[in-house]
Amino acid sequence: MAPKKAAPGSLKLSSVLDLNEASALHGKLMAMRGSNVTIDASQVERIGVQCGQVLVAGAKAWQSDKKSFLVEKASDAFEKTMQLIGIDGANLVAKEI
Amino acid sequence: MDMNEIKEIFFQECEEQLAELESGLLKLNDGDRDPETVNAVFRAVHSIKGGAGAFGLDDLVSFAHVFETTLDCVRSNKLEPSQDVLKVMLKSADVLADLVSASRDGGSVEESRTRTLVKELEALANGEAPPAAHAEAPKPAAAKAEAAKPTDDSGFEPVPFTFEGFGDDEEPAVQGSTYEISFKPRRELYSKGNEAALLLRDLSRLGEMSINCDMDALPDLDKMDPEDSYFSWKVSIKTSKSEDDIRSVFEFAEWDCDLEVKLAAADARDEELPMVPVPFDLSALDETPIAEEKPASAPVAAVSKPASAAPARAEKKESPAAAAAAAAQNNAAAAAAAAGQTIRVDLDRVDRLINLVGELVINQAMLSQSVVENDATGTSAVNMGLEELQQLTREIQDSVMAIRAQPVKPVFQRMSRIVREVADMVGKSIRLVTEGENTEVDKTVIDKIAEPLTHMIRNAVDHGIESPEKREAAGKDPEGTIKLTAKHRSGRILIELQDDGGGINRERVRQKAIDNDLISPDANLSDEEIDNLIFAPGFSTADAISDISGRGVGMDVVKRSIQALGGRISISSRPGLGSTFTMSLPLTLAVLDGMVVTVAGQTLVVPLTAIVETLQPEASAIHSFGATQRLISIRNSFCPLVDVGRILNFRATQANPVEGVALLVESEGGGQRALMVDAIQGQRQVVIKSLEANYTHVPGIAAATILGDGRVALILDVDAVVAASRGQSMKPEMSLAATG
Repeated sequence: MAPKKAAPGSLKLSSVLDLNEASALHGKLMAMRGSNVTIDASQVERIGVQCGQVLVAGAKAWQSDKKSFLVEKASDAFEKTMQLIGIDGANLVAKEI
Repeated sequence: MDMNEIKEIFFQECEEQLAELESGLLKLNDGDRDPETVNAVFRAVHSIKGGAGAFGLDDLVSFAHVFETTLDCVRSNKLEPSQDVLKVMLKSADVLADLVSASRDGGSVEESRTRTLVKELEALANGEAPPAAHAEAPKPAAAKAEAAKPTDDSGFEPVPFTFEGFGDDEEPAVQGSTYEISFKPRRELYSKGNEAALLLRDLSRLGEMSINCDMDALPDLDKMDPEDSYFSWKVSIKTSKSEDDIRSVFEFAEWDCDLEVKLAAADARDEELPMVPVPFDLSALDETPIAEEKPASAPVAAVSKPASAAPARAEKKESPAAAAAAAAQNNAAAAAAAAGQTIRVDLDRVDRLINLVGELVINQAMLSQSVVENDATGTSAVNMGLEELQQLTREIQDSVMAIRAQPVKPVFQRMSRIVREVADMVGKSIRLVTEGENTEVDKTVIDKIAEPLTHMIRNAVDHGIESPEKREAAGKDPEGTIKLTAKHRSGRILIELQDDGGGINRERVRQKAIDNDLISPDANLSDEEIDNLIFAPGFSTADAISDISGRGVGMDVVKRSIQALGGRISISSRPGLGSTFTMSLPLTLAVLDGMVVTVAGQTLVVPLTAIVETLQPEASAIHSFGATQRLISIRNSFCPLVDVGRILNFRATQANPVEGVALLVESEGGGQRALMVDAIQGQRQVVIKSLEANYTHVPGIAAATILGDGRVALILDVDAVVAASRGQSMKPEMSLAATG
């Protein structure tokens, strides 16, 4: 369930982001360190806390890298789950400085 | 259903919860650290408290509350369930049981006992909780505060308790209370297939929820383990549901998270956390293939937009995200459902049914007999129909008997309390090990073995097991062990009580027997015979209690009770190593499969379970042995031949074996004998009628029955006959029984 081929600097999230996907997502983000990234969460049907953790850690990492990290599109499921588990939009964004 | 009936149901449930509690505590005592065991223990006390609260049983609620608080410390790993801790817990379980009994039957429990234990429980909740790992959690303080509350009713929160089918007005639910929930999942929660997001979703459905996610523990991206758990939550929820309802959301994940649920103080939220309201409409999370693409107008900002008003939070399908978790939950639920498919029936009704079926069996046998007598060919339609009736009767009987069959577990559990109490009293340390608790036997038997068993257990603790000092001096573990075993053997239940104490002091038993004129001073008795002297009535004397290192207290009473049940008891003892009491009891007191035989013109029934085979002896197979003994040669081995008619004094001289039939039987002791009878009439199920209850105990006879022709037939006690044929145990056993 790896993300589909995407333009450099953009990451399209899989539809199911459960425990099994957390490591893959982590690997993808690690590989993208150092460049600006936009996240496409429009296909997300399901996301678990662990992938949420990876995304928040990603945003923090990008913040410390002073690169931008942006969730560009988000499905309803993605938004609602984030809201449900108390992850604010601000936790998922890093700005290039 | 009126309140009294509901209360009765509550007390019945209490019995079950108490059994659950005790069995859980005993498991913990044996080193079981399965979280589910602790959970079950906690739930048991919690349920009792809940019900007691609803009925205003304040003493019970007070005690259960303190108990529960301490158990909660164990549950949340703040208190290690060490042997010492469990000792207090087990005592508390006993007091709780007494409080339940007192609430049901009136009366009270000695206040000093309750008070002492409350103090001990509070001390455990306060002092011995390891502070380290969970120092930041407010629980120990909370536990302390709670435990320190006075034990009067003002100290306790009302526990909502509702009965299905009852109007809401009976038990007002908590309206719109706000609960503060702290939820910190551990890695295992996820690895076991649970998902915190789904738990939070389910929680959000209970009411109006706000949430704060604590992300402080989240490490840097490159240092994190993507499968570990870093987030934790503080949730505030305003709901009409109870704390139990809230906890039940986490029921299957409880052991893999730190969870705290508490009622929020009137207005004040204890934390000044930015709480994000959670939308009620979480339908997007419920069904998988929704996933319509919805580009957010502003990146992510939408995520934190306030919740819209709350439509459609009705029944929703479980999200596939929960698949694994749900599977586990479903299994558990299915198990619970299966366990729940029972009805409570008044025992009297079952008994009435059993009696009626017993009469039906006799009636059917009579009918069969008279039809057979009038239909020599056996081909008439009536005869055929009768066979079917016989089959059906048999099935009905089996089914009815199965209703009464119950595991011996409750009785065994009761024994652990006796061991604890008596051991405490006499300052010994004793462990009770039970085996085969699930062995099933008729309820009547269960009810009736409790008393003799209690007596024997008391004896074993008081006299069988030596003091710790003596044990140490003898190179034994200072902690004694009593082992209680139940198993089925040849259609009977065998209960063994084994201790690793000093065994019977045969010298003293012998001397006592001589002093009491039970045996003559020059009697030549085997060890076994000496051991069995303790069952003689003369041994129930006061000085025997303290003097005899082994046994001796009222064992004649025990023996009589066992015999009245159609059972037998024997003892084997090894000096310095301990004693074993073996009780053999019938599985049911109602029916018996038997072989109907003729002996000296009398009709007897021999229990089928005892018979190995039947044979027609040939003259060449019969050998004389000594003056009166005869042996029969069966497949190159010799087996003593026993003339039943002679043993039972039906005739003065032995019958000619060649003219009769030999029934090869196996006794409890494992020995084989060939029982000689004159003829076999047939094989049938007979309804047991107690001889003790209707007449008196007859040596060699277990019970009686009514045959199809209305005559009474005696049921042979095979073991007694075998023992009598040996010529040794017969005298003590049978003569004592006769005098008893």
